[in-house]
Amino acid sequence: MKSFISSLLIFFTCVSYSQTTINSSTFGMMEARWLGPGTMSGRITAIEGVAQDGKTLYVGTAGGGIWKSTNAGASFKPIFDKYCQSIGAIAIDPQNPKVIYAGTGESNMRNTVSIGDGLYKSNDAGDNWVKLGLEKTEHIAKIVINPVNTNIIYVAAPGPLWNSSKERGLYKSTDSGKTFEKILFVSEDAGCADVSVDPNHPDTVYASSWEFRRKPYSFNSGGNGSGFWKSTDGGKTWKEIKNGLPVKPFGRIAFAVAPSAPQNVVAVVEAAETGLYISADGGENWKKQSATFNVVSRPFYFATIVIDPKDPKRVYRPALSFSYSNDGGYSFADATNDGGWVHSDHHALWINPNNTNQLYLGTDGGVYISLDRGATWNFVPCLPVGQFYHVALDDRKPYNIYGGLQDNGSWTGPSAAAGGVTNGMWKAINGGDGFWVQPDPNDIYTAYAESQGGNINRINLVNNKAVVIKPQQAPGEEKLRWNWNTPLVFGAANKKNLYAGSQYLYKSTDQGRNWLRIAPDLTTNDKKKQEQENSGGLSADNTSAENHCTIFTIAESPLDEKMIWAGTDDGNLQYTADGGKTWVNVSANYARAGIPAQTWVSSIEPSRFDKKRVYATFDNHMYGDHKTYLGRSDDMGKTWTLISSAEFTGFAHKIKEDLVNKDLLFLGTEMGLFATLDGGRNWFRMKNKIPEYALVRDIQIHPRTHDLVIATHGRGILIVDDISPIRRLTKEMAEKNVVLFPNEPITLTTGQFGNGGFPVTGGWVAPNPPSISPIKYYLKERASMGEVKVDIYDPEGRLVQSIPGGKRKGVNMVEWNLCMKPPKVASGGTKIDFSGFLAPMVLPGEYTVKLKVGDSVYTSRLKLVHDAADKNFTLEDRKKQYKTATDLYKLHEQLADVVDTINARQKLIKENLTKVQDSVLKKKMEQYHDELEKLRGECLATKQKSVFADEKKLREEITEVYGGVTGQEAAPSNLQVQRTTVLQQEVKKKEEAQKQVLKKYDGEVMTGLRKEGLVKPPPGEKKGF
Amino acid sequence: MKRILFAFLFIAAATAVFGQTADEIINKHIEAIGGAEAWKKVNSVKMEGTIQVQGAELAVTITVLNGKGARQDLSIMGMTGYQIVTPAEGWNYMPFQGQTTPEAMTAEDLAESQDDLDAQGNLIDYAAKGHTVELLGKDDVEGTECYKLKITKKGGKSETIYVDPKSHLILRSVEIRKANGQEIEVATNYSNYEKLPEGIIVPKSMTLPFGELILSKITINGDVDETAFKK
Repeated sequence: MKSFISSLLIFFTCVSYSQTTINSSTFGMMEARWLGPGTMSGRITAIEGVAQDGKTLYVGTAGGGIWKSTNAGASFKPIFDKYCQSIGAIAIDPQNPKVIYAGTGESNMRNTVSIGDGLYKSNDAGDNWVKLGLEKTEHIAKIVINPVNTNIIYVAAPGPLWNSSKERGLYKSTDSGKTFEKILFVSEDAGCADVSVDPNHPDTVYASSWEFRRKPYSFNSGGNGSGFWKSTDGGKTWKEIKNGLPVKPFGRIAFAVAPSAPQNVVAVVEAAETGLYISADGGENWKKQSATFNVVSRPFYFATIVIDPKDPKRVYRPALSFSYSNDGGYSFADATNDGGWVHSDHHALWINPNNTNQLYLGTDGGVYISLDRGATWNFVPCLPVGQFYHVALDDRKPYNIYGGLQDNGSWTGPSAAAGGVTNGMWKAINGGDGFWVQPDPNDIYTAYAESQGGNINRINLVNNKAVVIKPQQAPGEEKLRWNWNTPLVFGAANKKNLYAGSQYLYKSTDQGRNWLRIAPDLTTNDKKKQEQENSGGLSADNTSAENHCTIFTIAESPLDEKMIWAGTDDGNLQYTADGGKTWVNVSANYARAGIPAQTWVSSIEPSRFDKKRVYATFDNHMYGDHKTYLGRSDDMGKTWTLISSAEFTGFAHKIKEDLVNKDLLFLGTEMGLFATLDGGRNWFRMKNKIPEYALVRDIQIHPRTHDLVIATHGRGILIVDDISPIRRLTKEMAEKNVVLFPNEPITLTTGQFGNGGFPVTGGWVAPNPPSISPIKYYLKERASMGEVKVDIYDPEGRLVQSIPGGKRKGVNMVEWNLCMKPPKVASGGTKIDFSGFLAPMVLPGEYTVKLKVGDSVYTSRLKLVHDAADKNFTLEDRKKQYKTATDLYKLHEQLADVVDTINARQKLIKENLTKVQDSVLKKKMEQYHDELEKLRGECLATKQKSVFADEKKLREEITEVYGGVTGQEAAPSNLQVQRTTVLQQEVKKKEEAQKQVLKKYDGEVMTGLRKEGLVKPPPGEKKGF
Repeated sequence: MKRILFAFLFIAAATAVFGQTADEIINKHIEAIGGAEAWKKVNSVKMEGTIQVQGAELAVTITVLNGKGARQDLSIMGMTGYQIVTPAEGWNYMPFQGQTTPEAMTAEDLAESQDDLDAQGNLIDYAAKGHTVELLGKDDVEGTECYKLKITKKGGKSETIYVDPKSHLILRSVEIRKANGQEIEVATNYSNYEKLPEGIIVPKSMTLPFGELILSKITINGDVDETAFKK
């Protein structure tokens, strides 16, 4: 029996293999646009440069992978998009700079820190990567390579943040990372935070161990596991460094060994009283220094201290701000803001060892470059690694994007703009850390934004003035508890309803001027989880980041404004069906489906197709459980199905149901974006220029443009434009070899934007979506054999355009600019005439699209319509424009014929001139050539080669008018029409002149050439004529 | 019994997939494009086609005479530019942006370009020609999971190719080209593979970053004179 079942299983496996699998490749050319922006960039965790060239840089980010520059920071490209996006440390082999190590899992252990999945290596400067191991360490703080024997590598792993684990400590490899041995392990609660080797005696190794633990509602830095260690035998034996250091327990210790005088060591030691300590004897004895606030601030978050590669007295302390010392750490000064503000919260510093004036600094707001040893800084504006928490959209044309970011406030920017979306088009509208930002659906001049802990503002988008609208504690209520990331949402059914949640749920229908509390405390109100004043450990740290027993997510049913769902960070999911009069807690119900208690309810999605259906995501990572929890209930939360997939990775942040196809769902997790087209039975990881392990925090779908807008925590905003082809793709369609999608009518236009203006001078530039809807088709398999092209026929059946088609598996898109083929322009001359790239736009009507794939042809209709709403360009105007444009088009082709004839005759003369015997004939030929050349010189510019010397002849004269009339959305002016008539006469004259020259010479010259046997008689003529 | 057989087949298939070496993939690829024997008969190749650039057509002719010369001509609206490589010299002439006279290739560029004189393609007898090939694993090319191989050529240039595991045709190549002291990655996608009368199979469509080159005519072993490789 068992064997029978197995056979059956294999049989079914085979069957499913033969079917077309719908996955990310089905999206084909529907790829993400990277909106960025680079304006505020995002948290940088590691920067390493290649000493040998001083211009190759690797930048590790908190949630955007690794970016490489080969030009000292002028431009970057991402090189780690197939792997975990949270980077803890990078190291470059000092002897072979093509060898790069990357440790995943940032070690700046803030509340929102992401996790890693091990250590990676590249042997070819970042083109290809392999995972070496250490998967379960989750966080890697530093990688150090022995400078003499680069096969020896040390990896400092603080280890898992939310639970006890053996997978932490200091690891050593002696075979370039093939195998690792744990050489320093203190306890399951204390990992390794920092490591250095003495460059002169590389068996001398320093390391700090760190006891640190987070809970969802507090954290603790410090304990008996924290310590400072030294080994002189490459890590075989260790002794604890103590002399002169403060009394234990320690917290986190950051330290640096002076590369040019390694007996000098500096350390920032977190203790009851955190201080800066200096040793001049290799760590044997220490002396405390007076230090500024910045030098000792927030040790768990600022763990970088660096000594100049050449000057042991020059010490850098990037922390809350940037401090430097010229005297070995006795005194510090701060960077100035001349040249611009330097974003606070620093985590990485690279100094070019061959030019120690040149520094690269990584902050919570991107990378900065200094050329004066850190006194002043220039911002690098081309790293789009912002950490959005949420995203919202408005309905303007083009629509705007709104969102808040880690340590970077709240912003709004356009989804498209003339020339592309650039940094400067984004506007900061609120400070602090940013989370939810909501445009007012009823008032285009108003948006709502917040900073951490529920500080909600109503913002005037014109002048950026803010009104504080945070709800306040009422008499008899408990102190309000606001999440770090307080929910602030508009109703999906009634767009006047604005909701916000502390432990209570509030609603306003007048832009936050008046609030109504519509729920009791919806949390568990567990007092043990509300002792945030005691959080931080050795250094008190209570910033609202650990606030707990709060509402975390709110959603109004799109089908009923009285039906509201609220989820909390402590495991409650509650709904009301009567606008808040009564509430039902369904948490016990989903627990039965296997979703743990106390879990954060990270998102709720009431269905827009079925009032009783609701989806929710649950995030349990703060209890050390990284599983992906996605639940669905079809009975108002009474019973739940846990939706799972082998594809899923990362704890879940957001579930989004499509607006049209109820079976199309998107799931965003800490490690990827996933989609299903069958209501959740089969899921696939989205790629298509979406980093495969992107930290996806929020997902929106624009109701008008059908764009999928993704808020990532490390790659800014990503947009997949117009997902409607995927909505329509049924399983049956996916089985077909080719599907040509029906075309929506297209309004005739040259596009959304003009081409004017100047190129962008720097920063991140996001491309625009196609402004004319492309012709779309689906290919089941990539077309490797046979031609793929799209032919377009006008209503009379004439071929107007032929465009090579995409060949990729999945949805292909062919962009047609709605124009005919450009005219043939007079060939030759000294410059390229741009009329050869320009064609009149076709007229409205029913067109036919013929898609040719190999030997098969697929046909669809394409209706082109005039925009009747455009008062500046009526249908009558369009017809006039078309007539003049095609008149000029014809003139170009007529002139091209004249010039072709001239060119052919001149070629013939040149080929035979040296061969001709008869001197009279030769003379005649020279005269003939000269007269042709004179005429040619009147037809087109033949003399001036410099682009700065305008030589204007008839071809160029036609182009001036043609270029204007053809490219504009307006009727031609009276003078453009008049000028066309003049040019028609001019062309006629040239045709006549060409005939005259031929008449004068051609018979005689041709006869002479035939006589000499240099040209054959024309076909049909008898020999000997 | 049947079950065991099935299981065995699955394991065998799995091993085959993971056990492919670079040489096995290259050999299958060469079989897929007509076999080494047919390719070794190729002495000259002339390919003519067009690239559509914003609706205008750019005429392209590529000529290779094995070991003697390689030439690319680009022509638009009567203006023609070219690149020539021979064992002794190389020239670039691109008048479209105002260049008035051909420019000689640097000795370094010329040395690197010598591998372009191979009319049979670098993969036929690659080891004997002094190239090395490394299998880098698998990678996605527009939704097709391909073998990724890196070819380091004798002249020093390297190229990464992506081979479709089903058809063993090359779907994409990525070359690092040096220009003005910077390295630029140029990716080309290949399609419309067609068998020629000579028995070799060649792509008639090459998608470059700025447009698609569609070949209309391919002449194998036609008369190509060495004088064609003069500036």
